[in-house]
Amino acid sequence: MSGQKGILTDVTKCIGCERCVQSCRMANNLGTVLPFRWLLDDGLSAVRWCSVLRKDNKFVRKQCMHCLQPACVSACPVGALQKTAEGPVIYDSGKCLGCRYCMMSCPFGIPRYDWESAVPFVRKCQMCYQGRVSKGVQPGCTAGCPVGATIFGDRDELLAEAHKRIAENPDRYLPTVFGESEVGGTSVLYLAPMHLDILTLGNKLDERPMPGRTATAMSAVPIVFVGMGALMTSVYWIIERRMKNERDRAAKNGTLPTSTHGHGAAGHHHDDGKEG
Amino acid sequence: MKMKRLKTVKSILWALVGAAFAIAVFRFWRGLGPTTALTDLTPWGFWIGFDVMGGVALAAGGFVVAATVYVFHLERYRPILRPAVLTAFLGYAAVVVGLMFDLGLPWSIWHMIVFWNPHSPLFEVGWCVMLYLTVLLLEFLPVILEMSKHPVVAAVHHTLHKFTVPLVILGIMLSSLHQSSLGSLFLIMPHRLDPLWYTPILPILFFISAVALGLMMVTTESLFSAWLYEEEYELDLLQGLGRVAAGVLWFYLAVRLGDLAYRGTLPHVLDGGYGPTLFLIEILVSVIIPATLLTIPATRKRMKTLAIAAGMTVFGMVFYRIDVGGLAMIETTGTRYIPSWTELTVSFGIVAGAALVFFWIAEHFHLMHGGPMVKGRETLPDIKTFRPRLIRGAVMFVGGAALATALLPGTALDGYPVVAQTVHRTGYGDVMILDGNRNDKGVRFDHKAHADIVEGTDKCAYCHHMVKPGAQATGCAECHTDEHLPTSIFNHRLHQDLLAQGPGCLTCHEDTTKPKDLEHSKPCLDCHDSMIPAGAAFKPLAAPSIGLAPGYMDAMHGLCLRCHTEQDGGHSTDAPTLARCSTCHSEAVKAFDPMHPDKRLPDVKKDDAKAD
Repeated sequence: MSGQKGILTDVTKCIGCERCVQSCRMANNLGTVLPFRWLLDDGLSAVRWCSVLRKDNKFVRKQCMHCLQPACVSACPVGALQKTAEGPVIYDSGKCLGCRYCMMSCPFGIPRYDWESAVPFVRKCQMCYQGRVSKGVQPGCTAGCPVGATIFGDRDELLAEAHKRIAENPDRYLPTVFGESEVGGTSVLYLAPMHLDILTLGNKLDERPMPGRTATAMSAVPIVFVGMGALMTSVYWIIERRMKNERDRAAKNGTLPTSTHGHGAAGHHHDDGKEG
Repeated sequence: MKMKRLKTVKSILWALVGAAFAIAVFRFWRGLGPTTALTDLTPWGFWIGFDVMGGVALAAGGFVVAATVYVFHLERYRPILRPAVLTAFLGYAAVVVGLMFDLGLPWSIWHMIVFWNPHSPLFEVGWCVMLYLTVLLLEFLPVILEMSKHPVVAAVHHTLHKFTVPLVILGIMLSSLHQSSLGSLFLIMPHRLDPLWYTPILPILFFISAVALGLMMVTTESLFSAWLYEEEYELDLLQGLGRVAAGVLWFYLAVRLGDLAYRGTLPHVLDGGYGPTLFLIEILVSVIIPATLLTIPATRKRMKTLAIAAGMTVFGMVFYRIDVGGLAMIETTGTRYIPSWTELTVSFGIVAGAALVFFWIAEHFHLMHGGPMVKGRETLPDIKTFRPRLIRGAVMFVGGAALATALLPGTALDGYPVVAQTVHRTGYGDVMILDGNRNDKGVRFDHKAHADIVEGTDKCAYCHHMVKPGAQATGCAECHTDEHLPTSIFNHRLHQDLLAQGPGCLTCHEDTTKPKDLEHSKPCLDCHDSMIPAGAAFKPLAAPSIGLAPGYMDAMHGLCLRCHTEQDGGHSTDAPTLARCSTCHSEAVKAFDPMHPDKRLPDVKKDDAKAD
């Protein structure tokens, strides 16, 4: 975990100027936002990977949380989504086949889709991995923030900084750092005076990492497969053997079995009946 | 003429296939957005919920009957084996075709074979579909091959026949995995799925219900084709399946309710509201009514009640899968997705296509135990008898396609499904009040001045065509970013030129041992002492240093802060309040609703008139 990068957003410091949104759009060279039918009202779209939610006179910046154990990465059938060693969860459009399971599995509802395109891809914040973070430069959003409300750094250090701020100003913040343990922890952390339910989608989350929920079922796959095969083969063999014994006994007793063609593949019955 | 039912049903099916084909053309040309009702919130819709979930479910008859006949040696069920295997094959083929429509990049489906992620349930589902489809094809191929007397075909037929039992067992293994892993798909969505459906044993519930569903699917199919081809009903066989299905259904109910009780969710079943009501209807339709009908011998052995029970089980268990795949996510996510008629038509068109293939095989091959269903069609079709049927099918196909194309919404044709907005001249006058900062407070905004400054053909789009929550226009701060930033107003070259004759550099950089930077140079006000008049109303909090002038916003905040500190005892000095433009530029109007700016129209004019 050490060495992983992260982002800390302090909701009490944000002034809602949306410069992070603008910097993000410039850093990632994102296109024009059109009022399409399929957009959510949280401001995120295929060409807007970061937005500022406004609630109770507070500003909450929304972006990909870059989970430590991401649901999308475990869900993607072709591994188009990957968690990098540096922390960002990145997307390889060359592998994607467009099933949108990542969108269904994300507990924060982050990935968006190029619905208007005939060749659509999944779009989401990648913490500026390709152009910036992999080269040691901070992401566009944190670089653009004029008041230092959202900062980039080592996740461990940011976590320590967050707890320091809580200790210094206990009245200003909730005592927990959002993202420290939610769904097993996220690379993006929040300090806020209120619960950040607006960042999650649907039912309330607990601290269990999302991939763990399918792991049990997936680890049972080989057992079920082999077990079912063994069960079916032995049932087939036992019944086949019992029927053969019955036929032999019947032959020994001198009474003819009811069926005249009892051996070989069971499939012959049908065909013989047909041709007869 | 005989076979009137068949003709009517087939004509409708051909029309559906035609309509689905027309919509498919637009789906691949214009993309998913313009041709479906899918959204970023609900990226899986009817095509997954019905085609994939339902298609796999309906195919459950294949492995259940194959196990019954080959593994358990219950030979009397052999007559329904072939139709069951064919239905399974067609069901899976329908799943694959449906997926081709739903996948964003269907031509990349082979990536599943090359790029592996074994952690993903969808990866497992994909592989199971591929392998099981192959197994089903091999299981069914003898039905086609036995028609030919060609030695090579006969040899292939013979080889396949030898491997029947291993193939059947492999098919059962793959089916067990696949039926259950369809439930595993949703284990990663505890946030989306209603707690009455979300459970870690979803894969087990899916498997048990698939067995019951498979048995009843075969029953429904046998009864339906007997009705369609006006033949005898095989009641004796089918009631036996019904008795087994009843047991499986009751077992399923016990596991389902037991799991709810174990997790403490059972009391919520009677809470009322959307989720619990949906749950009760589903349980009633999928288990309680059909299982009761199948348990009582009198109703199980009568054709009509057996048909009702079988139909209800099939419908109910597909309903269960559609609930998990979508309906039980409506309340939790707050989605407003309703499948568009285009999605429904494509789905039904795929089912119709599968049904036509089924009929064709039933009519030409030894599918049913009575041989080909239409006498005189035992061989491959010859053109004389084929032509009228072909023409009728083609007419219905073209008709369906034409009707679907005519009904397609304009957005599907243009491929530009933006939310409709009326473009009109500003109705507020040149100066209006708008919520440019999205904080439910209006500020005075000079529309004409802005429109004049931003020139060019896309001057309106500059602000208006950027989607923002609440109001579909750009926030003030998106353009007025410079007002946050300190601006350098110091002109070094000018000072250099002016001071060249005098003490030169030393005028400002007094200490030559220190670096010549902002910190170690003389402040502006040391020379420009007349910049702030003695009688100025506002004075800066601190003497500005060299170089940077505060940004507009900071300057304003500095001024406000001073007054607030002096006059208000520091009560209104919290930074977030002051950081908003509207704290000063408020002129807040009570009736202003940022979601419906038009409603403000009369009020604004009145206020403007007053202001004037």
